[in-house]
Amino acid sequence: MRYRYLFEQMVRRELRQKYKGSWLGVVWYVVNPLVLMGAYALMFGVLLDAVQIEDYPLFLIVGLIVWVFFSQSLLAAATSLLEQASLVGKVRFPRETVPASVVAVQLVTFLVLLVLVVPVTIAVRGTLEPELLLLVPLVACLSAFTLGLALVVSVLHAYYRDVQPILAAALLPWFFLTPIFFRVQDLPGLEGRGWAEALLRWGNPVAPFVESVRDVVYSGALPDGAALLYVAVASAVALLGGWWLFRRLQAELAVVL
Amino acid sequence: MSAATLRSGEILLEDATRSFSVRADRGTTLKELVLRRGGRDAPPVRALDGVSLHVRPGETVGIVGRNGAGKSSTLRVLAGIVPLHAGRVEVGGRIVSLLELAAGFGREFSGRENVELNGALHGLGREEVAARMDDVLAFSELGEFVDAPVKTYSAGMLLRLGFSIAAHLDADVLLLDEVLAVGDEGFQRKCLRRISQRIAAGATLVLVSHDPGAIERVCERVVVLDGGRKVFDGPVSDGLLAYHRLIGTEHGGGESVRSGPTAVADVELLDESGRTRQVFRPGEPLRVALRLGPGAPARLDLEVRDETGRPVFRTTTEPASETLVFEVERLALLGGDYDLVAGDRVVRFSVADEPGGEGVVDLRGTWRAAAPETALPGSAAPGGGR
Repeated sequence: MRYRYLFEQMVRRELRQKYKGSWLGVVWYVVNPLVLMGAYALMFGVLLDAVQIEDYPLFLIVGLIVWVFFSQSLLAAATSLLEQASLVGKVRFPRETVPASVVAVQLVTFLVLLVLVVPVTIAVRGTLEPELLLLVPLVACLSAFTLGLALVVSVLHAYYRDVQPILAAALLPWFFLTPIFFRVQDLPGLEGRGWAEALLRWGNPVAPFVESVRDVVYSGALPDGAALLYVAVASAVALLGGWWLFRRLQAELAVVL
Repeated sequence: MSAATLRSGEILLEDATRSFSVRADRGTTLKELVLRRGGRDAPPVRALDGVSLHVRPGETVGIVGRNGAGKSSTLRVLAGIVPLHAGRVEVGGRIVSLLELAAGFGREFSGRENVELNGALHGLGREEVAARMDDVLAFSELGEFVDAPVKTYSAGMLLRLGFSIAAHLDADVLLLDEVLAVGDEGFQRKCLRRISQRIAAGATLVLVSHDPGAIERVCERVVVLDGGRKVFDGPVSDGLLAYHRLIGTEHGGGESVRSGPTAVADVELLDESGRTRQVFRPGEPLRVALRLGPGAPARLDLEVRDETGRPVFRTTTEPASETLVFEVERLALLGGDYDLVAGDRVVRFSVADEPGGEGVVDLRGTWRAAAPETALPGSAAPGGGR
């Protein structure tokens, strides 16, 4: 852990750049998902009247903060090595710290949002269930999963400069196919199409994360066992695979950047 | 790789080979990868082609060569930033590299915070950085600027900070790329003193520079690279000569500064004992030894120019033989870099800085106390003072 101090320094540097050193900067990143929540709640819950979900804004915000953490981490990580090109080209240090510090900064925002949202959901439900403790391993798994993919997109974008734009384009449809503003089992179009439901549930690796976190935070219930297993395996595979790919490709980083 | 077999400060480069692909636009895209599979790029350029080098602890090595000779690639390979395609590189101990001014600096951060960041980049922990902080800041002579963001710094201030950090990381191997050229003389001297302390303790210095003066001041050994190959490795005076020959051959017998009437085959600057030198002290004797090539020279110009290219001295002769010597009893030049232009050839030399005068010419005057009438004999007449 010779480079733990470096990681701290890099996170500080990122935080400084992102929030411009003020708590007002953090507030903006908290407000952003709240605005999204308001817009979707108004659109789907009120105007279209398409969902019959209790406390729909709360349902929305839990999924949204998971998604925002995931997607913003990947987008920021993709360009992170390029932004630190002079550093990578002139100094020898473990390059993983660059995308990792970007994810860590997003994690700070995510945790701030969780700290704001969780008490509200408890207050609205009126009960405090022990299942909430599951949030800790779930957040750990989500972080590992996101970090693994962040390592992949950051090193790939250094080699192939269209990775970030492709990712940005893919994230929007990905968002709509992720059960953030709906429950998979509620979708009327899926009736009689079991394969499509399975695809929505298991084909999208983010879906089990969103559903598990929502089960714990919004419903105060134990998530589906299969989903928990999926979360554990997906995070391990993403982290190890991402690490492996990054290690393999990082040697040439100073040359390709 | 068994780095454990190397002593700290030791460098081993064996048959090091590294190519780079040359592309006008940097970075490919996935789209290209899919669309033009098997498409051929321009053949890669060999930046290093079988370079072997063994540096023992306590050695100071200068790397010279033309642009693209592989100097910076060698440093980046030694620093572990760029991997080799073939061969072996091993470096013993802690490597500290200063390859670019402010490479690891956050522009929004203060000097103090950048010391922390750079210490961390070189693998130091919080306590190790904290223990060095005061020394680093004192060495940098930045005063109250240490708490200002480095984006407000001048190039000289960035160098001071960057070098102060590098000098206090307890390097076993110190890799420097040209950076010293930016600082002022006083700070440069201070840096050199600090470096020599480390070297006396068994550290190794590898310096890349275009400035033969800097190499001669700092290094005892010179490696000349050309086209990615090592063409010379040996003592500094011979090495710089080899380098100048190399530059000479590039232009077909000398850097053609003008189409002079004389073809000069060889120019050397010698000291009183007949050794070739690049650096002289003011007031020293100096001999310019010339060998003329074929082509029946009728007239030969010898000229000395200062750093700005301005001629400070010129003489012409009609050569009586193939070999000529221009004898200078005492060098009347002051500290700086000069070009000696003999016919169509240029040799660069430096004159060391010494206290006692500034400018270009050493008037060789001395100060003494004197009575008013002897000091200003024409003081009654207007304008007689000068």
